Amino acid sequence: MTRDECIGVIGAGNWGTTLAKVLGDNDKRTLLWARRDDLCREINETRQNSKYLPGFSLGPSVEATSDLERICKSTSLLIAVVPSHTMRETARELGNHVNGEHVIVHATKGIEQGTFKRMSEVLREETCVRKIGVISGPNLAKELAARQPAGTLVASRYDEVFERAHAALHNDYFRVYQGRDVIGAEIGGGFKNIIALAAGVAAGLGLGDNTKALLLTRGLSEMARFGVAMGAEVMTFGGMAGMGDLIATCSSPLSRNHQVGARLARGEKLEDIQRDMAMVAEGVKMAKAAHDFALRKRLDLPIVRAVHNLLYGHHEVPLLLKELMNIPAGPEFAALTV
Amino acid sequence: MRPEHRERARIEAATRVVDRHVASLRPPEEVGLEALVNDTLYHERRRLERERGGDPRGAEDSAFYHRIQKRLRHASARDLREMLDQIALRFASEIVGNFDDRVYKLSTTVVPTGLSVLLTAMSPGKLGSLSSLRHGLSDHVQIQGSVDHVRKLLDKGTLVVVPTHSSHLDSIVLGYAVHLMGLPPLLYGAGLNLFKNPVTSFFMNNLGAYRVDRKKTAGLYKDVLKEYATVALELDYNNLFFPGGTRSRSGAVEQKLKRGLLGTAVRAYVGNLQSRRDKPNLYVVPCTISYKLGLEAETLIDDYLKEVGKNRYIIEDDEFSRPRQVLNFMSNLVSLDSRVVITFSRPLDVVGNYVDEEGRSLDPRGRVVDAASYVSDGGAPVHDAQRDEEYTNELSSAIAREFLRDNLAMSTHVVGYALLDMIQRENPDMDLYRLLRTGGRSPSVTASDLATETERVVGALRRSAKGPRMSDELARDPKAIVDDALRAFASYHTHPAAVRRGDRVFHENRNLLLYYGNRLKGYDLGRNLSRAEGATAEPAGARA
Repeated sequence: MTRDECIGVIGAGNWGTTLAKVLGDNDKRTLLWARRDDLCREINETRQNSKYLPGFSLGPSVEATSDLERICKSTSLLIAVVPSHTMRETARELGNHVNGEHVIVHATKGIEQGTFKRMSEVLREETCVRKIGVISGPNLAKELAARQPAGTLVASRYDEVFERAHAALHNDYFRVYQGRDVIGAEIGGGFKNIIALAAGVAAGLGLGDNTKALLLTRGLSEMARFGVAMGAEVMTFGGMAGMGDLIATCSSPLSRNHQVGARLARGEKLEDIQRDMAMVAEGVKMAKAAHDFALRKRLDLPIVRAVHNLLYGHHEVPLLLKELMNIPAGPEFAALTV
Repeated sequence: MRPEHRERARIEAATRVVDRHVASLRPPEEVGLEALVNDTLYHERRRLERERGGDPRGAEDSAFYHRIQKRLRHASARDLREMLDQIALRFASEIVGNFDDRVYKLSTTVVPTGLSVLLTAMSPGKLGSLSSLRHGLSDHVQIQGSVDHVRKLLDKGTLVVVPTHSSHLDSIVLGYAVHLMGLPPLLYGAGLNLFKNPVTSFFMNNLGAYRVDRKKTAGLYKDVLKEYATVALELDYNNLFFPGGTRSRSGAVEQKLKRGLLGTAVRAYVGNLQSRRDKPNLYVVPCTISYKLGLEAETLIDDYLKEVGKNRYIIEDDEFSRPRQVLNFMSNLVSLDSRVVITFSRPLDVVGNYVDEEGRSLDPRGRVVDAASYVSDGGAPVHDAQRDEEYTNELSSAIAREFLRDNLAMSTHVVGYALLDMIQRENPDMDLYRLLRTGGRSPSVTASDLATETERVVGALRRSAKGPRMSDELARDPKAIVDDALRAFASYHTHPAAVRRGDRVFHENRNLLLYYGNRLKGYDLGRNLSRAEGATAEPAGARA
């Protein structure tokens, strides 16, 4: 078997199943890992993942399995798409089966809570794999599953990671661009969820496009400041994983983070919202991680602070909005001189 | 290197480099070949102009390049290839050293005695008997860390020892340590200036050194040099590289490493796998050499401060070129005032994984990994320049981490840091450079304040997760640590870093304080010290 004949997708949630669908559309033999056997059975028998990607069929080249070892033996290209809070556990398990020839591209947005580690760092700590990359961009799962034109970024220090991910995923509706700034791509993909939450709040309050644009541009500025403090390159935030992802996530009512924000604005409690949602809204965790990190690094990130206080401090929405608008405004790029 | 290997390495290094260049050329081949010959001619001519009269081989080199130049005008692709071969071979011939195993054995036995005789002749009253001297030298060069581990790996593959570099004595001290450990000699590249130095030329010619001319800037020369190191590794010669490239000017432990020579490790490893060698593995052994006193401290820190970031890569007029000063330093080494400690870190594979005593690579969770899989494509070992460059970056980070972990903090470093930090805090409005020059408002601090500050620094170092190791004297009470450092400063430097008079300690050479204190850079000392006080702000005035 040549090495690109089979691709492993680790995680059969909404985004993992969508990427498996893209691979299936490309006629790539794909092994989709799900922890639960009943989900594997459903996917293999009905070609659908009714819980996480209802209404879309996976191509015949996609096979679901709960056997991680089999996947690692069948392919050296793995796409890891598990929630950030389970990445360490899954990576440790993967570590039992991979070797130095494996390539892992992760598509998980968010930072590990408590340690502030990025997903590529978690993979590095839990496996022997060096050739690690990240997929990040404006990719709303349902639109991609519907084959609407979209683009994404694959960032890695290793050319081979991009080349193989590109060969597997790129097609006539999904454009895959190359980047080297792994840190920037990971920060962009995680951080935008916080801004999406804020944009959701604004939408929930019935505020218009001026407010949304203000939130987005100042949110992008905070993202860049945060990213540069973490070691990213500022330019990355003007690309797919920064600006691109921010626009898509904050514009779309499909975004889970946007939905959480809108419901909070309507006065619902976070616990109740989370109980209702089948999937994890990464922004909820990311807001805490970013807020803690900003305190530690003494970064001034007003939108992050406001979202954090809304989620965890139970502050009132109107009060937070007032606070944000009362912050003195100075030179637009002052905090970005890096 | 044995004579038969020397010739093989010479030819192999030159041929591989030229082959690689030729393979990368786009047609028409002549254009690329001519550009390469011209580039080399340009760099060599500039070098010869710069050192006119300084290099005994200069006239010969000039005549050689003149002949090449003349042939260049009507040269065919074949002629150009031949010229490149000639130039590369000329470079390779110069690089290949005179290493001779028998001479090595003799010199490692005789040299410590010889050195002692020399020292006794210089200062008989101070140094005592010959036998105590020999004993003294081995007492004052201490070896610690993964010594047994390194010994075990010797049977399982080839070693690449990568030490920190702060003195020209490093290669000699390390050569001596390797001999004491019972390891075979290490092959290493030494600057031409070391071959010219009266004290070291003997060691350089006989202890396994090959010649590195850092004034040669042509890309072709650097490629031949790297390829020579690669071939030597493939021939199972244990190598020594200084990954910092040059001696640390600031006194800090190197954190930015040169990837050029380090990259030969992964290249040689792939070569070994491809040629199915019995023991293809390469083991990278980081090694920190910690001096209580720096032989060339004054020159190095002055050079650092003169042009931060633009310091001279080659220094030929430092303490090391003055035999009397070297001997003075060496006599200190065998007296009670100074000490060199060599710490071997845990060995690594070529991508930076730890290696166990069986020579197997381990992942971060301690699981065994097949090292060959990193350089394989579908199970077969392959060269991949971009991949290997990144592997070398990973290796470099791992070495830098081990350097910090195994660096040995000594009294001179701690007291140097503590005293300069006190001066900086007393003069918050002065930038570092002005402070170093003027000394700030007061020429001294009280000895008891310095002891308190020293205790804080020792405490912060002990709390640091990144290292360093702590030398025995740091377990003593802070006053004794201060006394120990001041005694050491006074014993060697013409202008000691600090001197005690009555109850006060005077900072007399703040550049030296910076130099010694910089050895503790990289441990977030500023933050750890302020955290201990419960403060949140970073101390004013970042260290240079």
